[in-house]
This record gives sequence, structure tokens and C-alpha cells, in this order.
Amino acid sequence: MKWVFAALLLVMGLLCIPAQRGLHDPIPPGKTRLVWITDDNPVRKQQIELFNQLHPHIDLKIDPTNAGMEKVIVQSLAGVGPDLFDCYNGFQLEAYVRAGIAADITQDMLDLGIDVGKIIWPAVAVTNITGGRVYGFPGNAAADAIFYNKDIFDRMGIPYPGRQMTWDELVAVAQRLTVRDENGRATQFGFLTDWWKWQDLAMMWGARMFSDDGTRCIIDSPEAIAAVECLHSLIYKHKVMPSPVEEASASQGGWGSGTIAFFNGGKGAMAFGGRWWLCTLRDNKDLRLGVTLAPFGPGRVYRGYGRSTLVSANTKHRKEALEFMAHLAGPAYNQLINDQADAVGPVAKYCAGERFLHNPEYPEETYNDLWAEAMDLGVPDEVSPYVNGNLANRILGKQLDLVKNDQKSPADALKAAAAEINEQIDAARGVGIARGEGSARGERTARADGTGGGA
Amino acid sequence: MADVAPLAPGATPVEAPPPVRGGRLGLHGSEFWAALAFLIPNFSGFLLFTAGPVLFSLVVSFTNWSLIREEPTQFIGFANFAQMFGDTEFWLYFLNTGYLMLGMPLSIAGSLFLALLLSQKLRGLVVYRTIFYLPSFTAGVALLILWKALYNPDFGPINALLDPLLRGLFGPDAQAPTWLLSTKNLLGLHVEEVRLTWEQFGLGARDAIIFMGIWTAIGGANMLLYLAGISNIPQELFEAAQIDGAGPWATFRHVTWPQLAPTTFFIIVMSFIGGLQGGFEQARVLTSGGPSGTTTTLAYCIYTKAFEEFQIGYASAVSWVLFVIIAIVTLVNWKYGSRETVDG
Amino acid sequence: MVELHRATARAHRREEWWFRTGRFIASHALLLVLAVTMMIPFLWMVFASFKPLPEIESLRFLPEKWQPENYGQVFEQIRFARYYFNSIFIAAWVTILQTLTSAMAAFAFARLRWPGRDTVFKLYLATLMIPGVVTMIPNYTLMVKLGLLDSYAGLIVPASFSAFGTFLLRQFMLGIPRALDEAAAIDGAGHWRTFWEVILPLARPGLVTLAIFTFMGNYGSFFWPLVLIKSDALRTLPIGMLYFDSVYGRQTNLIMAASVMNITPLILLFVSTQKYLVKGIQLGAVKG
Repeated sequence: MKWVFAALLLVMGLLCIPAQRGLHDPIPPGKTRLVWITDDNPVRKQQIELFNQLHPHIDLKIDPTNAGMEKVIVQSLAGVGPDLFDCYNGFQLEAYVRAGIAADITQDMLDLGIDVGKIIWPAVAVTNITGGRVYGFPGNAAADAIFYNKDIFDRMGIPYPGRQMTWDELVAVAQRLTVRDENGRATQFGFLTDWWKWQDLAMMWGARMFSDDGTRCIIDSPEAIAAVECLHSLIYKHKVMPSPVEEASASQGGWGSGTIAFFNGGKGAMAFGGRWWLCTLRDNKDLRLGVTLAPFGPGRVYRGYGRSTLVSANTKHRKEALEFMAHLAGPAYNQLINDQADAVGPVAKYCAGERFLHNPEYPEETYNDLWAEAMDLGVPDEVSPYVNGNLANRILGKQLDLVKNDQKSPADALKAAAAEINEQIDAARGVGIARGEGSARGERTARADGTGGGA
Repeated sequence: MADVAPLAPGATPVEAPPPVRGGRLGLHGSEFWAALAFLIPNFSGFLLFTAGPVLFSLVVSFTNWSLIREEPTQFIGFANFAQMFGDTEFWLYFLNTGYLMLGMPLSIAGSLFLALLLSQKLRGLVVYRTIFYLPSFTAGVALLILWKALYNPDFGPINALLDPLLRGLFGPDAQAPTWLLSTKNLLGLHVEEVRLTWEQFGLGARDAIIFMGIWTAIGGANMLLYLAGISNIPQELFEAAQIDGAGPWATFRHVTWPQLAPTTFFIIVMSFIGGLQGGFEQARVLTSGGPSGTTTTLAYCIYTKAFEEFQIGYASAVSWVLFVIIAIVTLVNWKYGSRETVDG
Repeated sequence: MVELHRATARAHRREEWWFRTGRFIASHALLLVLAVTMMIPFLWMVFASFKPLPEIESLRFLPEKWQPENYGQVFEQIRFARYYFNSIFIAAWVTILQTLTSAMAAFAFARLRWPGRDTVFKLYLATLMIPGVVTMIPNYTLMVKLGLLDSYAGLIVPASFSAFGTFLLRQFMLGIPRALDEAAAIDGAGHWRTFWEVILPLARPGLVTLAIFTFMGNYGSFFWPLVLIKSDALRTLPIGMLYFDSVYGRQTNLIMAASVMNITPLILLFVSTQKYLVKGIQLGAVKG
């Protein structure tokens, strides 16, 4: 028995030699390695190549496995974090700033001659600017529109939707475009959207998530209820959208999941999605696409969103990281994003001009001006300093799941969610006040600073 | 025979007969140092990677430590615990955790049954044993994706079988369960309150996870433990039973079952511990804890609190409550289990 | 009287024959049904691994078009061979270390007498009850302090000490008759020799079982490597496979191909250790 263990240990010991080989990716001589935590969207590859080509002294590498807020925070606090990392919403930015791992680069950007707040789309500023301070630069920006499948419209002899539909018109067309077999099983849906886009609708209806000072969650307003009722009726009353069961049955396998796969597979005539869908849809040569603006709700705004890259407070290569920031603000990067259709470039002024409107590689995309139009109407998500955004989302998700499954009315669900979120806010403020800290962040308004906001 | 049978963990091991005169046994001191030497490798790891972190987390559970707060972390007494016990959600997650353990007796009985089948002297056992153990091989992600496809309410093979069956039995309006999408359950637990409601009666995500769990566990570690346990039963006992003319049931009742008592005890203890800590991977990969939080167990709740909502203090408090619950359950098991073993 | 006795004996034998044959058939039928139930999902996995992506959604069990290239694709798209090696390398190290340390501790708990033994054991057992998430953050910071972040050692060392293994082996060792230690002691063997030469060989079924559990558990471990590992070269299979299931697409057929390859070593391991288990079953009757 002794020898068995001894032999095993010896074998394993010897295996350590090949194991140690090739462990660490060597940094090319004379270059500085920048590690960027982002998702592994296939279009990212070209984006990195472009940067490395323009900056031969830097070796930028992405690290997709460590994406996820908890890893970024924990690793950065432990001093082994990345040089650059992505941030997807206002809550994340607040969290990174509070945790002390996002570097304040306000002055550095001004020194580089870049007035960040002025040049980027206002709708994404929540992901890189808070309290008037700049912590990074957006990588892209989006506001969604309606994609439609021209072949389905042609086949059914229905004219393409116009630039500005109303919701009633959309429902009427969608009903004509929904096809069910004799068992009542839909083979084609008139309209598709992800359920979580109730948030988009709520904004379009003019609903607010929080009161101005962030001390009250007001997502149970009549506007929000009306918006969720509209989405609910698309499934259960008009039956133009897949129910949860119908949706689940198509999300297996295939590229992408849910709505985009449905639409890409020709199972939907219209779908509510972002320009970044084109990264996938362009590959489908059989799909003839049209795009039009989404119908307005009473609020006449769209929900805007995007992704920023922040500079780590712990980076040892701040100078190089700033070069990357400048790159994101420059024409080469913005044109690449616009060409790739990874949503639109972060700098507003590049979403114009002949090259943007009529990309010679994609002559069939004649609708590009509407992306800029949608971006102009984009409004970012709201953040309250008193409640954790992930927690608020979980509470909302739990309640809205019940609505989606037709187990609770929109009004009841939103009321319950708002009540629960308000409880959290009260608890947070109560604790703060009890400890004599008052509302240190109270002045910071819900609709984070300097972001415009169209409501 | 008595000194051959494996002993229950709680029972005092049968001590050696009184030391031979002039022998070197019986000196506590000498065995103590030897024991220490044998314990050191394991014990040092235990101190470093378990005891230390656990004490650390106990301290943390009395603080408001959050990863995303600029104010310094402070001690806040029992506030985390008060918040937890006052929160309906905590109790719902507690119920979920318990509900997901309902498959345990079935799964253990199944493992025992399989082990008995496989402990016969038959051809082809190696193949069967491997097949039964297969589910335990499969990496979490793949297994869960597999089951997601199987449970698909519209196109999944499970409903493809159930649908015609239900229609035949209950008429054309009968609907197969939507499994992972449904909040229903066999006890009729309410989604948002700690009470039962008729509306929630049915099969849903929690039941789907239970069935999957039984499928995975039945031929897994427990079956192997039982097999190993059966192999440790002295052959003479079976021979003696045969001479006494005992049938298979009597042999099982009077020889196998009591001899397996320590194994059963071990399996039950481990299943309780595993069950109370469980549900994390399923929730993370399969359901994200939904629909409407119905598959969120305490372990997944700790994870979301710590790594999505960054409330390390609160998450530590929940872990400690979970720890105490597990400890109580185990102590009860232990008391009951050891008595049973000694009597049996 | 004698006649009668013989007749009953014959009847008894015939009855037994019937009983044995019946049991044989019933057992096999039952095992077969159960085995098929267990296998269906796996067959689905194997066949799915040969399907082109669009076919995954179809209800057909067999692929319409066989696409063995999926397997090559797995190696092409990710560093599968490296992840393979890592998974096995790490799991093997943990298995050896854990079996050894657990066996030593179990020996102290099962075969040695010292004051406070059972109390300490209960304390040990109590550590099984600690939910893993509790120790993660402190352990992570510890790894940083020890400089083991993003290293093999960081994956191997913390997993090498197990209260579970100690418990498991103690149970087995309690079943070994005391008389053997004493015989060894009378022959002049110290504890160290008794451990290696008397107890461990007899505890082999337990050791094999623990080794299998440990290997399986660590081969598929997901959460700790997910947190601890940064470099691509150190990834293990379950983490590497996530590549096929990202927001940008789920290549279910490639996941299935990777899973098939993932579980193959485990099947081989299990089949090869079966022999020991079977032997263990035969040796199990420790003569008292």
C-alpha cells in the first residue's frame, strides 16, 4: 500500500513538468499587456485587432471568463484585477465606484482634449459618468427598433409597416401575421419581444422607476401598469406573441436564444430589438430585413442602453488604459462599430454621413438614419442610491414572471414590487440615519447626472 | 459476532479486551501523540481552509460588510438576523429547500434496491453498475442542459409521452405540466406567502428538479456506499440465515438491513446535509432560481445575496442560520440513528 | 420417516431451483428496464453530439445527417486538450492527497484511543455542514495572500483535506476487527506499520470508493475554478465548455460532443476500478 501511494505521488510529481509548460501567455517583447474584461462577442476580435494595430506598443487581450461583476470586484479588491473592465448599467457603475475599483479619469480625459459628456450619446452616460465624474468611455450605445421579415409580409400580401406606427396599428398587423395550425399551435407569430422589455414599454409610456430623489420606487404608477398591460395583452388577449410555453419550446439549441433565434428562424414577422441583432442576422442570407421605428408610447421616448469600458483604479498601466479610452472616442473605432453593427458607436457625431447611412458592403440596409433618430430619443435606466439595482431587478423579475405566466395582474404585481423595493429603500435609509450618516448620497438624483433624459 | 459488525458512528466502538498483562496498550498518553501525528496533515488543512474561514464568516455575519459601500464596515449586532427572520422571502426559500428534499427517501430506497439487485452474483453486473452510475459522471452544465431539453413543455420527450396519456385519461382539455416554467407543486405551496393554496397544486419546476435529482442520485454515490456496505457484511450471517430457513425478505429484515444500519445512517446524514446545502447548481444553470423564486434554495439565496447583491454580511448571517439548521438536523439524526443501530 | 425427509428435501430443492431461476429472470428484467431508463438521456446526448446544430430542436432521436466533425470542432474552437489534461491532473492530485490525509485521520479516529476523540470527531463532522459559499470569500483572500491565485496549487491544496473522506474511512475502519491491530502490536509493529500494513489493505474497498468519489467530484468541480482561475491555460473542462453556451449562442451539439469526451475518462476509470470493488465485495467478509 505504501508503494502504491509512493508510485502515484511520483507519477503526479513528474506530470507537474509538462503541466507547468505553456501556462502563461508570453507578452510580446517591448509591449505592454492590457487585460480587458469584457464579453466574448465574436465582433470583439476585430475591435481588439484594430486597437493593437494602431498601438503597436500595446498588447490588448480580452478576458471573457472573468466577466461578471462579482469577479471584477473581488479580483480587483484582491489586487489582481484587470486593467479595463466593462460596465453595463448605472447601478454597476455606482457599485464599481463605491467599491473603489473604478478610476476617476475626468481630468485625464480633459487633458487628452476629450469632453466625454459632450460627445457621447446621453443615453449611455449612466454607464461611465456619475456624480459629474468620468470613469470610462462607452463602447457602444443602443435604442431598439422594430425589425421585420419582408418575405413574410410579401407572402401574405401585407404592406411593410411605415416609419411611424401606432401600437394599435402594430397589433392589427401582427394579428393578421400570426398563423396557427388546426391544433391551435402557432407556426408564425406577428410580433416578438423579450418579456423583460416591459421596462422599455414602461419608459415609452412615461413611467418612472424612482422619484426624483431616489427615495421612492414609483413603478406602480398608472403609466407603468398600462405599459405592462399592453405587453400582457399581446400574449394573452391578441395572441400575437408567444406565451412562455411557446417561447420555451424554441429556445433550445441554435445560435442565440429567445427572441432573436425565433426571428432569425422565420417564426416571427416583426420583432423588437437592437441594431446589434444585425451581427447575427447579417449571417442569415435568406433573411430579407426591414427596420422601422418602434411605435411611440405616450412618453415619446425610447429606452437607451449600452456598455462602457472603465479604467481600473488598480491598473499599473494607466497611461496605456487612457490610450484605449482615447481610441474609443476616435473615428477609427466608431466607424468599426458602426460597420460591424455592434449597436452604434458611442460618439454621436459619427452616426451620420454617407458611410454610416449607406454602407457599401450592405446596400440593402437603407434604414440606418433611424438608429440615430432612436438614439436621440433614448433615455437611460434609473438608479436609486438607496437600493441595490440587482436586488430591485430580482424583485421586479419575480413579480413580472407571475404576470408573464398570467398568474397575477400587472397592477398587483407592480404594486407588490414597488412596495417591496420601497421596504428596501426605507431599510437602507433607516439604517443610514440611525448611524448618523444621514443621506450622504441623497442629493444625487435618481436620473443620474448630466445624462439628459427626455421624459 | 457482535465485535465484527461495523459500529454506528455514535456508538462507542467496542474497545479492545483488557490489555494483556505487561502489554503496552492502555497508556492514553502514547496513543494521543500517535493520534496527533496522524491527524496533523488533515487537521492543518481543516484549520486553514475551514475553521478559519468559518469563524471569519461568523464575525462578518454581525457586520454590514458590503462590497459596494464606501462607508467603513461596522458591527451592527443582530440586525442581519432580525432582517432575515422578518423577511417572508427567507421563509419561502427555507420551504423551497425543504420541498426539494422530499425526493430523498425515494432516492435512498431506490439506491438500496439497486444495490441489492447488483450485489447478486449475476452476469453483466459491471455493465449495469456503470450504467446506473452514469448520471453521476456527467458534468453539471451538460446534464442540466440535457434536462432542460427533456422538460421542454412543448417539444420535450417527457411531455411528448405525457400529453397523449393525459388526454386519453382526462379528455382533450387535459394539459401536461409546463415543468420548469411552473410555480405549481404537489403540496400547493403559495408563491408569495407561507401558506397552502389549492391553485398551486400540480407539477412544476420544483417537482421537475426533484425527479431529476432522483434520476441522478439513485445509482450514484449512495448505491456505491450500499454496495460497499453489503460487501462488508460477514458471509456467515447469510449462511446462518439460510440454515435457519429464512426467506429473502426475512434475510433482508434480520441480516442485511440491520447490518447496513451504519451505512444507511451515514447516507441519511449526508443526504440531509447535502439537501439543506443543495439546489445551487440547478438554480444557477437551470432556472436562475425562478419562476418567481420558487426554486431558490437557501444556498442559492446566499450566493445571490453575496455575489449579485454584494451583501456579504447578510449572506454570512444566512449561511450561519443554514449551518445551525443543518447542525440541529444532524444532531437529531445522530441521536435517533445511533439508538436505532444499537437496538437493531 | 427417512423417505419423507428425502421427499421434503427434494421438494425443497426444486422449490429453490424455481426460486433461483425466477429471481434470475426477474432481476435481469428489472435491471434491464432500469438501465434503459437511465440510458435514454445519455443516448440523446451521444446522438445530439453528432447532429448539425439546427437538428437539435427536432424530436428525432437519431441524427438525420451525421456530423462527426463536431468533435474536431470542439478541439478547434477551444483548447480542449489542455482543459482535459488540467481536469485530470487536478482531480488526480486531489484524489491522492485527500485519500492519504483522510485515511491517516480516520486511523486516528477509528483505531487509536485518546481522550476527547469522539468530541473532536463530532467537531470534524460538523465541518461537513458548512455550506461551501460561506468559506469562499475568506478562502479566496487566503489564496491571494498565499500567492496561489490562478495556479494549480490553488485548485489542489484547499480541496485536499476532507472531513467527508475522514468520516467515510472511519466508518470502514471501525468494521475491521480490533484483534488484528493487537496481533500486529504483539508482533512489535508500531502504529505507523499497523496503519500501512494492516489497516489500509483491509480498508481498500473504502479507499477505492473514496478515491472514486473524490476524483469524480473534483473532475467536475465548477465554482472554485471559476472564481480562482484567470488564465486560459489553467481552465478545467466544465469551465472551458461554457464557451459553447455564451450569450452569443448556444452550440448545443458541441456542448454534447464535449460532454461525451468529458465523461469518457470517468467511465473508463469506473470500469477499471470495478474490479477492485468486486474484489472488495468478495473480500468484504472479514473473518472475526
